[in-house]
Amino acid sequence: MGKMNIGHAEKIWLLLIGLTVAGAWFAETGHPGWPLTLIVAGLIAFKGRMVVDHYMEMSRANARIRHVLYTFITIVPLLVIFSHGWGDLFRRLTTLN
Amino acid sequence: MDTMTTPLTEPIYAQPSASVDDHNRVPGNSGIWVGIFCVLVEFFLLFIVYFVAKAHHPEAFQTGPDKLVTLAGVTITLLLLTSGYCMVKAVESIRKDAATRAFRWVILAFILGCGYPLVKYFEIQWNMAHGVDTKAGIFYTVYYYLTLNHLVHVFWGLLGLGWVAVRTHRGIYTSKDYSGLEAAAVYWHTTDVIWLAIFPFFYILR
Repeated sequence: MGKMNIGHAEKIWLLLIGLTVAGAWFAETGHPGWPLTLIVAGLIAFKGRMVVDHYMEMSRANARIRHVLYTFITIVPLLVIFSHGWGDLFRRLTTLN
Repeated sequence: MDTMTTPLTEPIYAQPSASVDDHNRVPGNSGIWVGIFCVLVEFFLLFIVYFVAKAHHPEAFQTGPDKLVTLAGVTITLLLLTSGYCMVKAVESIRKDAATRAFRWVILAFILGCGYPLVKYFEIQWNMAHGVDTKAGIFYTVYYYLTLNHLVHVFWGLLGLGWVAVRTHRGIYTSKDYSGLEAAAVYWHTTDVIWLAIFPFFYILR
């Protein structure tokens, strides 16, 4: 948005499109487990950061707003990793007895 | 002007847009960010529901995506990302006082955005024909709850895009004041960020 170099918005858009297609292809052809979990977590964080920084221009906006968005796109991928690697612990923590 | 420190008595729509070089600027206006923060909190809580359900029913979440149409999820992602790109170009255009060009970009963003409910409609039709309804299991209950909730927020975004399209066409936005257009854009991008997490939750992760 805004003062981007010519073609910058297009590059970001192509990168996001490419990563989306590549991620889906990997999921369809790959195997479940850690590789897929780490790739998904990485893609959520990276694509989220691309949208937040380049589409929403957060890299040069109010710090408080930026930190809220960065926190969101950091915690969600961490939860993806945590729920895969420590599912039992997560289940125990969320069981009402 | 830092809109976060503006007195509440001053209407947010009357505030001129801050310079893009101002590193403390609030894209759009402070009002839209209150809404965006609420949406982020809401979806974060819904994501917690997803992770709790997944922890308690790992088998259902491992096999669940097999019955969903991955192509539908990919198509929605591509539509949202491309629609978001169009809003980037719309804001870029209005900053150059190219209102007609900005209007065309908003219309294109709106049309692409309308592709989401259309794809969702056909996806749900396909799901129903294959017995994938809300009672098909915990995975599908959470899938419908989260994706339809997101669809509702996309409808708000589309209403916003329609509204700013009309105002852009009427020449209301200029390079000096385009906060309304930018507010619609940042809300639209927020639905994008949230979908970037929802998409792999249900269509990719096993």
